Amino acid sequence: MHRTLAALTIASLLGFTATATAATLTVSVHDPRGNTVADAVAYAIPEGKVVLPVRKAAAVMDQKNRMFVPHVLAIQTGTAVRFPNSDDIRHQVYSFSNAKTFQLPLYKGNPANPVVFDKAGVATLGCNIHDRMSAYIVVVDTPYVGTAGKDGRVTLNTLPAGRYTVRVWYPEMRAEPAPVAVTLGTNERNDLAFTTR
Amino acid sequence: MPIRSFQTKLLYLLVAVLVLLQAATLIAVHVAGERTVRNTAAAELRVGSRLFDRILAGRGRQLSDTVRVLASDFAFREAIASGDRPTITSVLTNHGSRISADAAFLISLDGTVVADTLGDRLTGRAFPLPALVREAETRGESSGIATLDERPYQLVVVPVLAPRPIAWVCMGFAIDERALDEVRRLTGLDVSLWNAATRAPLLISTLPQQERGELGMRAKALAPRGRDLDETLEIGDVHYQALTHPLQTADNSRIHTLLQRSIEEAGRPYRHLELQIFALSTLALILALIASVFFARGVSRPLEELAEGAQRIERGDYATAIDIRQADEIGRLAKAFNRMRTGIADREEHIRYQATHDSLTGLPNRTLFHDRLSEAIEKARQSGESVAIIIMDLNRFKEINDTLGHQFGDELLFEIGHRLTGTLRDSDTVSRLGGDEFAVTVFVREGSLATDVAQKIGDVVEAPFTLAGVSIDVTASMGIALYPQHATDAETLMKRADVAMYEAKKNHADFAVYEPGRDEHSLRRLAILSELRHSIARDELVLHYQPKIDVVTERIAHAEALVRWRHPVHGLLGPDEFIPLAEQSGNIAVITKWVLRRAIADCGKWNADGHGLTVAVNLSALDLFDVDLPTYIGGLLAEVGLSPSKLVLEITESAIMRDPAAALRVLRELKQRGVTLAIDDYGTGYSSLAHLKRLPVDELKIDKSFVLNLRRTSKDDLVIVRSTIELGHNMGLRVIAEGVENAEAWDILRDLGCDMAQGYYVSRPLPLADFGKWVEESPWGLGRVKSEV
Repeated sequence: MHRTLAALTIASLLGFTATATAATLTVSVHDPRGNTVADAVAYAIPEGKVVLPVRKAAAVMDQKNRMFVPHVLAIQTGTAVRFPNSDDIRHQVYSFSNAKTFQLPLYKGNPANPVVFDKAGVATLGCNIHDRMSAYIVVVDTPYVGTAGKDGRVTLNTLPAGRYTVRVWYPEMRAEPAPVAVTLGTNERNDLAFTTR
Repeated sequence: MPIRSFQTKLLYLLVAVLVLLQAATLIAVHVAGERTVRNTAAAELRVGSRLFDRILAGRGRQLSDTVRVLASDFAFREAIASGDRPTITSVLTNHGSRISADAAFLISLDGTVVADTLGDRLTGRAFPLPALVREAETRGESSGIATLDERPYQLVVVPVLAPRPIAWVCMGFAIDERALDEVRRLTGLDVSLWNAATRAPLLISTLPQQERGELGMRAKALAPRGRDLDETLEIGDVHYQALTHPLQTADNSRIHTLLQRSIEEAGRPYRHLELQIFALSTLALILALIASVFFARGVSRPLEELAEGAQRIERGDYATAIDIRQADEIGRLAKAFNRMRTGIADREEHIRYQATHDSLTGLPNRTLFHDRLSEAIEKARQSGESVAIIIMDLNRFKEINDTLGHQFGDELLFEIGHRLTGTLRDSDTVSRLGGDEFAVTVFVREGSLATDVAQKIGDVVEAPFTLAGVSIDVTASMGIALYPQHATDAETLMKRADVAMYEAKKNHADFAVYEPGRDEHSLRRLAILSELRHSIARDELVLHYQPKIDVVTERIAHAEALVRWRHPVHGLLGPDEFIPLAEQSGNIAVITKWVLRRAIADCGKWNADGHGLTVAVNLSALDLFDVDLPTYIGGLLAEVGLSPSKLVLEITESAIMRDPAAALRVLRELKQRGVTLAIDDYGTGYSSLAHLKRLPVDELKIDKSFVLNLRRTSKDDLVIVRSTIELGHNMGLRVIAEGVENAEAWDILRDLGCDMAQGYYVSRPLPLADFGKWVEESPWGLGRVKSEV
């Protein structure tokens, strides 16, 4: 988790320096009582025909101490996700979700092939032999996606100027908060706030 | 009058108290038992009802767990996740049958039924029990009771996790008799379940078919009120305590349980207890009865024995002791009784001895003698023996007593008793009848032997006694009467022996045997005694006169007046027959005075006629105690004008000896008045010469017993008569002989120098008229003298 956060921080710093013209969007998610919602996912979908960059690097859903790490993994459609097993016991990985239905039979170490999530949606992961293990892989059709930490804030950097539809997802979501349309200018910084239903 | 013994009373009381106590106990136990049974039954029903709830809840949890495990089956989840309805339906059926579910539903997260095993009846519709789903959402699982197809079901809802909930699976388990049977098995209660809302309310029951039908008809009446309700039911002949209890249902269907408990069955331990108490009570009663019988006997039997003992004492049986050996109060009472018994026996024995024995001699007294004689008679009657009774009277005992003192007399009597006892056999009885009178019964083979016994007794008694230095001879007169010759009963026998004894005394014999007819005489005496008092008033007494002849002149000198009683029945009675009676009855003074008056009057007449006779009158011993007698006689003489010298008073020797001092005083006074005094019956008494010398007498009459048989050949009488005449003459007394019956006696007397003589040889006593004639005509008379004058 820390490593991920560190990576994200580095990436955003890089974004700042590389494209000084890019806009920054900060999304915070609260529940109706004002509490921050951890592990919330925020993503911005550009309007119109835009060719979106595709991240070639595989994402990682690790299993440590009988937990999926991270708990929520947000990825762009078509991203391959590797499922290394860092525990010294075997794990099985399955998803019955429409976004991606798959099973990885009991294994140790790194499986040979990653799983490619080529359909937008949320895949709920479980381990067949450890009922308590669960994780979400949120697959969205945009590279501008981020996962909130405990502070419930997601900062999307390097967004090209333009119009975006900003949506959020969070675990145990019953109904999606209404998407927010936002127009971002160059170097514009914008803050959005979502309240869960 | 019903007599209840102490024992019976005690028993009645004990039984009454025990029965009352035990009846009260039994009633109390019964009432308490009834209440307890109902309370217990009601409590049992509540427990049963809670237990039923628990069992259902437990079954719910168990089913939930089972269903959850089932729902986490990967293949199941995979099938559910497939989204293919036929697959889902089949996996519901398949896995549901694994856990014996009767129905299974898959419900989407939005509450719509996705698939069901009831022929898709609910598929596509909202799940009818959303509350269960809501509860499962919050608690992760839920279970509840609901009616499906009019049957009670227990439903369980759990999520299907992949691993987040993707749907709800609901499994239904029909509540059937098996579930109820478990309650019945655990609690012994019958359980029925019914839905108050439906037409055929009774759903299931543990009751047998018939009762179930009956209860079904009754169920409507048991209108449930949504809360626990105690009921009493009667199904068939069985009484039930019942409880209706509404079940919590998920669909608000009005399912109730009815738990029931047979009162009889619940009360069975109490019936058993009551029986036991009854049995124990009866046992206790019997034991108490036995114990009280023993106790009461322990008290009343000794009391009865004491009562019997007291009655024995009352009857006079002192020999039997009361045999009670107890250390308690009754034992002490018995001891006191026994001491009292022996005390009474001793005292009574003493009293009886005193009552039956003579205190002086220790011999049986008259009473005991009478009894002994009766016994002897009875014994003789059986053995054919004879019994002789000898009554003995001492002669002149009174004189011995008077001269030698009572002490001496008592010692003499004691000694005589001692001698008699020593002489006779043990089988004979010696008794002192009183005074100087003894009696003896003797068994004899024949009556004639009785005289031998009398002879022996006479010898023994007449042997000299030496007492206190004084030697004395005693004679006795005995009368003998024989059983069976003279009488057959003791009383008559004694009377006849008495008669014989007097006969002997009269004849100066040692003994006499009773002669039949003699005691008529004594009967006559009794009759005479009663008539004697009236004899003077009726003028029945007359005087006869017997002449006393002057032996020298052979002419009458004195006329002895002899009283006769002309008795209207018995004829003329001599003085021997009534004078002693007159002495005993106190009439003698009257008679004496009458005789004196008459004799003095007659004598006065004779002297007036010039006969110059002297009259002699007998005085009784008792007359000598009459100090007025001399005055009276003086009066009479003066009245007639007769010289006192013409009166001779004859007094027996024994009469003077009774009280010599008093007699002497009277005699001296008479002598002073000039009356002539004579000693009568001289020679029979014991008067000493010294005595005689002091007496102021003029004449001495020799007792006729010495004269009657006076012959020249009978030496003894001759000596006595001669010495008496000489004695009299030496003392200056005239001597008179009476009882002269023949010429020989007359001649002897004349030769001995006797002064006067009287007797049948001269004349018997004559009535006044005859006497007058005799005086005129007899050669002894005065007729010639008169004619000469």
